[in-house]
Amino acid sequence: MEFGSIALASLDFGTLPQQLVNGLLLGAIYALVALGYTMVYGVLRLINFAHGEVFMLGAYAALFVSWRLGFSEAGLVSNPNLASSALNLVLMLLVSMTTGAIVGVLIEFFAYRPLRNEPRIAALITAIGVSLLLQYGGALILPNSPQPSIDERINPYRSAVVLQLKGADAHFEGDIQQAQGKYDIAKTAFDTALTREKAQFGIDSEFDLRDQSPRKTVQAAESDLKRLQSEKESSEVRVVIPQGQLIMLITSLGLMLILRWLVMKTKVGRNMRAVAHDFDTASLMGINVNRVISFTFFIGSALAGAGAMMNATFLGTPLDTFYGVKLGVKAFVAAVLGGIGNIPGAVLGGLVMGVAETLVVWAGYSSYRDAIALVILIVVLLFRPGGLLGSSKVEKV
Amino acid sequence: MKGPILQVQNATIKFGGLTAVNDVSFELAQGDLFGLIGPNGAGKTTCFNLITGVYRPTTGSIMFRNDSIAGLSPNRIAQKGIARTFQNIRLFSVLSAAENVMIGCFLRHKVGINSALAYLPPAIKETSRMRREALELLDLMDLADVANSRACDLPYGKQRRLEIARAMATQPELLLLDEPAAGMNPQESDELMRTVRRLRDDFRKTVLLIEHDMKFVMNLCERIVVLDAGKEIAAGPPEAIRNNPRVIEAYLGEAV
Amino acid sequence: MFWIVRILSILAVVGLCFGIQAFALSQTLVAPRLFALTGLYVTLAVSLNLINGITGQFSIGHAAFYQIGAVVAGFLSVRFFADQPLAGPVWLMAMGVVGGLAASLAGLAVGLPSLRLRGDYLAIVTLGFGEIIRIIVLNTDAVGASYGLNVKPKLQFIWMIWLLAALCIAVSRNLLKTVWGLAFLGVREDEIASNAMGVNVTKIKVMAFILGSAFAGAAGAMLAHYEGFINPSMFSMDLSFIVLTMVVLGGSGSITGSVLAAIALFLLPEFLRSAPPVTGSALVAGALSTAVSVAALRWVTHHVHGETRRKVLAYGAGLAGSVTLFLLLRLLLGNVPSLAGISFEASKLRMVIFAATLIILMMLRPQGVFAHHEFSWKWVGRLFGRTNAGVKA
Repeated sequence: MEFGSIALASLDFGTLPQQLVNGLLLGAIYALVALGYTMVYGVLRLINFAHGEVFMLGAYAALFVSWRLGFSEAGLVSNPNLASSALNLVLMLLVSMTTGAIVGVLIEFFAYRPLRNEPRIAALITAIGVSLLLQYGGALILPNSPQPSIDERINPYRSAVVLQLKGADAHFEGDIQQAQGKYDIAKTAFDTALTREKAQFGIDSEFDLRDQSPRKTVQAAESDLKRLQSEKESSEVRVVIPQGQLIMLITSLGLMLILRWLVMKTKVGRNMRAVAHDFDTASLMGINVNRVISFTFFIGSALAGAGAMMNATFLGTPLDTFYGVKLGVKAFVAAVLGGIGNIPGAVLGGLVMGVAETLVVWAGYSSYRDAIALVILIVVLLFRPGGLLGSSKVEKV
Repeated sequence: MKGPILQVQNATIKFGGLTAVNDVSFELAQGDLFGLIGPNGAGKTTCFNLITGVYRPTTGSIMFRNDSIAGLSPNRIAQKGIARTFQNIRLFSVLSAAENVMIGCFLRHKVGINSALAYLPPAIKETSRMRREALELLDLMDLADVANSRACDLPYGKQRRLEIARAMATQPELLLLDEPAAGMNPQESDELMRTVRRLRDDFRKTVLLIEHDMKFVMNLCERIVVLDAGKEIAAGPPEAIRNNPRVIEAYLGEAV
Repeated sequence: MFWIVRILSILAVVGLCFGIQAFALSQTLVAPRLFALTGLYVTLAVSLNLINGITGQFSIGHAAFYQIGAVVAGFLSVRFFADQPLAGPVWLMAMGVVGGLAASLAGLAVGLPSLRLRGDYLAIVTLGFGEIIRIIVLNTDAVGASYGLNVKPKLQFIWMIWLLAALCIAVSRNLLKTVWGLAFLGVREDEIASNAMGVNVTKIKVMAFILGSAFAGAAGAMLAHYEGFINPSMFSMDLSFIVLTMVVLGGSGSITGSVLAAIALFLLPEFLRSAPPVTGSALVAGALSTAVSVAALRWVTHHVHGETRRKVLAYGAGLAGSVTLFLLLRLLLGNVPSLAGISFEASKLRMVIFAATLIILMMLRPQGVFAHHEFSWKWVGRLFGRTNAGVKA
């Protein structure tokens, strides 16, 4: 349950900390998917258009597991008090990651590998084709409409962590007490008047009161009280983090740390870095390039699957086969923003994208939330194509 | 014209930590046949790239006919009268030999694009004229028989000659040839030597060439500059270079 | 003499366009619209071919230019048509020009970044740009936002749509017949070499974008007035991909290819609409046999060399094999009730077929059906055995 995105005409800085936290949580998902884009580009110099669809299929995998565990519509009707556990979530995560990994590796093997020696444009067009095929082909066989979503009851951690950053302004305590007092008095007077007039004149409802003034007084007192209460809320600065999203953040961080270890400290990671640096030399050095590339797709797609499972489960987004398109574009922009091919860059880019998008909505321009990604993309490509952490390349003549 | 046609003065270019060309200076007079040699990685092609505008020198100047050209874009420099060929042949592979050369003629076009889009007589005439020029140049380079063959279908030696024909089509004053004799057998390189000399004698071109084939360079070039690791280590006529111990050391390692 | 031939051929083309219109209108109620839309797709494909195929700039946001032309022209018509003296056709022509100009401004905007970006990067920027345009229109109430814009008056001149297509084809063809065209091709083949030969690569890239986008914009203006209604969902990324498929299928750089592919790829799904539903077993059989045949044909492409006859035989065998496989599988899977039971409307398969086309093309013949060839009268002569054997045509 989010704290709410109240669209205010002027910026409400009290809600800013909440929005920043929301942005980071969203950004963690973008980061996970962006890692897949950046790793594949690093080794193959190919923009894997179909990565968004890997994400989508990972989400569907999580959905199907949740159904299997009894959290489908029919299942919940027959068993409405079905309890869930952390084990369910772990299972869903593993299945999503595996599904993503397998799909990714298959796509590379069947669609990209045969075109390794063709001009890069051919692979790009094929990637577009695979992406469209999965979207529209998937629409034929996967449940699409109405859009299914993962039932929130599968998440056993639904309470929220509340961080009170700043208490309400002190004067509200007294003011509200006063207003409450006034209201109580007015209400008593109103009730008395109503009872009296019912007995005396036989009226049916408050609208028929001969003397409307008690009614007006109580209404005024009630609205004053409500106004003070909402102002008190506004003056507080709270951050509400649903537990599920906290888990999401921790899991994402964990996965990224595992990735970093993989890339920096293992042999296979070193091979990946070698291939990314110089494809031909790496193969001449005895590295099995094909295996490294498959592995890259495996890891990148597994991460996307993880992101998909968390997005679908903890954020409750409804699924359809075009689920990966928007998010794919944003995650791709995140990868470019951080410097495509650069792994820490993808994480940074993802977080920035998440925060940027949330702030756009907070500032009142929610209809432009998707456009901001594209604007960032174009600005980056025009002024700093290497991204925040990358570098520009020089073509040798 | 009076004065040198090309003056490279203290040209230096750094790529990050690597200084590819370090304080190199030389001059070409009009009509020179000038050689630029040195072991691999000496910075010869980088010099070409500096002169033709692919790179901008970090410091130093490059003057062509008393105009500074350092930092101009390659197509501006080509329009000023410097044309080049490439170490790794860069022909327009799917186009025919004649079409490749016609693209060289293009920079001298006078007819605007609107006339071309409407296919009006001025555009038609100009295209025919350029096609005739192209065929003449192909004839000059002994490629008339393959005028309509695709560039990628041509044998290696013809491809090299085609690149020269294309460069000639821009009607340059200064021609930069990057390893024109690479991969040629002795017969072909003799032919090429004669052709290059003809370019200077009959067409008044100034030629600056990079070459590894020593016989070619020593027999053709009238003056030579030697680079090693970005620095100039010798300059002068072939006889001086041939026996220069520093040059021998650069090519063969320690003096034998 | 030149001018006589020129004027006569222009008149002939105009006559042909009116002929197409007459033919279209004499058909049943549905058909005229198909003729109109086909003409628009031809213009879109040929104009995209100018940017992608001829100049080698990978632009995949073409729908944006189409949309700009439609929106600008539609908006102006709604505002100003009633109060001005020009007759319908003249006004529409003017709107075509205006739409084209507006789109070419966008083309300039997209073309400028192309100076610094290559290949995939440029593709992404053009795609992103297309989306931004769509989102801006989606959020602009003056042009209808998400509800769309009703364009009044409806000006349905099929002849003008095809005249635009003919003009686009002619301009592309003319370009390629002159040395200017060679300069464009040079930019496609090797920018560095072109620069070294004095070609102003920057200027040419920008020109390509301006020309390509202008025609798309003019087509957009025609669309707006023909349909009488436009809304942003008509100009999604999918439209850009569809036009891209047409260019890629036809053969990047081949005008003939773009025209034929546009017609084929547009009409095929339209006919699919009235086709009977496809059963699950047929779909799976189709998918499997396609996958197997693509793999087999790829093997053929890489291992069978030599004369054309041998290659054609091998391809033929491959195709025959695939069809047989498909029929066999469909028969087999027809016995699987879970598959035979479900059926899909043919129209839902449209995008799936486009996607599959892209993939199959890249696997088997990335240069497209026509590659870089064009229709020429020489070809026709060859068909009728006119050339002498042994002389290179």
